[in-house]
Amino acid sequence: MIRFQQIQIGYKHSLISIDNLELESSAIYALVGRNGSGKSTFLKTITGQTSLLGGNLEIDFRSSKEVKADELSRIISFVESKFDGVSFLSVENYLALGRAPYTNALGRLSTKDWAIVHEVAEEMGLTQFLEKDTINLSDGERQLCAIARALVQQTPILLLDEPTAFLDYANKQLLMDKLLHIAKEKQKCIIFSTHDLDLCIENKIEFIALKNKTLEKAKGFTKLELISLLEEKG
Amino acid sequence: MKNTKRLNWFLIGSMVIFPLMAYFHLSIGEIQINFSDLKNSIFSYDAQNTAQLLAHEFRFPRLIMACVAGAGLSLAGMLMQTLFNNPLAGPYVLGVNSGASLMVAISLLTGIQFFGTNLGLISAALIGAFAAGMLMMSVTSFLKSQVSLLLVGLMFGSFTSAIVSFLEVSSKAEQLKSFTLWSMGSLQNVLLEQIPLILFFFLIGIVLSALIVKPLNLLVIGENAASLLGIKIQQTRIVILVITALLTGLITAFCGPIAFVGLAVPNITRILLKTQNHSQLILGNLIIGSTFLVACDTFIQYLESSVQLPINVLTSLIGAPFVIIVLIRRTK
Repeated sequence: MIRFQQIQIGYKHSLISIDNLELESSAIYALVGRNGSGKSTFLKTITGQTSLLGGNLEIDFRSSKEVKADELSRIISFVESKFDGVSFLSVENYLALGRAPYTNALGRLSTKDWAIVHEVAEEMGLTQFLEKDTINLSDGERQLCAIARALVQQTPILLLDEPTAFLDYANKQLLMDKLLHIAKEKQKCIIFSTHDLDLCIENKIEFIALKNKTLEKAKGFTKLELISLLEEKG
Repeated sequence: MKNTKRLNWFLIGSMVIFPLMAYFHLSIGEIQINFSDLKNSIFSYDAQNTAQLLAHEFRFPRLIMACVAGAGLSLAGMLMQTLFNNPLAGPYVLGVNSGASLMVAISLLTGIQFFGTNLGLISAALIGAFAAGMLMMSVTSFLKSQVSLLLVGLMFGSFTSAIVSFLEVSSKAEQLKSFTLWSMGSLQNVLLEQIPLILFFFLIGIVLSALIVKPLNLLVIGENAASLLGIKIQQTRIVILVITALLTGLITAFCGPIAFVGLAVPNITRILLKTQNHSQLILGNLIIGSTFLVACDTFIQYLESSVQLPINVLTSLIGAPFVIIVLIRRTK
């Protein structure tokens, strides 16, 4: 689904270089790395907000250079680490914003668009919140809304920036269950950055570890092995 | 669905309140004008009749100016609040007014010939508003917090008023008088012949706003999220800058600086309509903004025989406490 070849990422100097990495659909990856190792920069490269210094990035089997900005919003959806809610914006209307890549210049949703919104709301268990104001939700409910908003976007790739950072333990597990379910059921490629190593290990999630300015896949590692891997200095 | 019901009630309410306010505005004043004279002043105008002359030449232009100023400033305020994601933004607070005022001061007080004309005054205000808007937009990219943006706006306001004071002390008495009159702010200086031009610019502002409803609806969840949903942020910013500068510059040129309308009305509109749908918010701001300023100006007309109250004084008296209330509500 996403393929990195000889890629250099950074602003002026190369921060991360990736020789060869392939991320598949129906799979879920936990992006781990120390603070400042470039997790956000890595995610921003996929969303096209940071341009490549060199190499070839393939998204959805096409070179990223060929994909236009408005097309990208139908391929990649992004969930920020925290959605604070907006007063007077109901959950229903918030989810509806996810249809923006498909609506015309006036942004009016068709009956089909609304059907998708309601279907996703039901899957995520948000039906009873639809009329509620987004600022009157708990952090956990709001995070589910943010993910639902991204699902409404119906993209093959879903990126999440530290989605568990502000959640309590029960909500963290709930979120993991949802993500695992979504990846399998909807054949999505999900990548999320996180510092919750235990949570990912318990749920047998494949890691992509960022260290020494490079990325490598790490599967079946114990917590200690993973920590020492991330600590390792080049 | 509940929201359309709310909008319908709002529209029904405003269909009653607005005409009533407009009628009071037209009839109340040092000279009372009755309904038949008001009607005749449009449909069978007789310039010999003093009441009709007054209505035709002064009251109607003043009413239209009040509507345009109230609606235009509110619309500009709403756009800035959505763009900066900040309910305390507005053309006055962010210094767009100050930019226009500074340029008007330069043109009126230094007596540069080009700016001496009527059209010159408008273009001076437009240039000033546009430059100030550009400045604020370029500054935002360096600012992390919402409060610093407001502080920069206030500092810019103080800075320009310092320059204006400097120009005032070094100008001639006659120039000073005309500038002081302008800076007090008033809706009554507009002439009947100027109305078409004002309405033309005003309509451009509304049409442009209607064209960016979709980006506005998405900007509510933040610039980053909006751009990842396919919105062209840079383009939207420029359109918003053009609209706010156009409306604020136009209104400031004709009415002088009017504070707080652009800040308070968009907040009131959101609270009343309980929505973030900008097609509804645009409509709401136009209606509430014009009704609010017409009401303020009616009050000023009512007091006219005893005291000449500048419009800016009244809007500040209402607006400043309102800002404090909004601030307190937000920090709770």
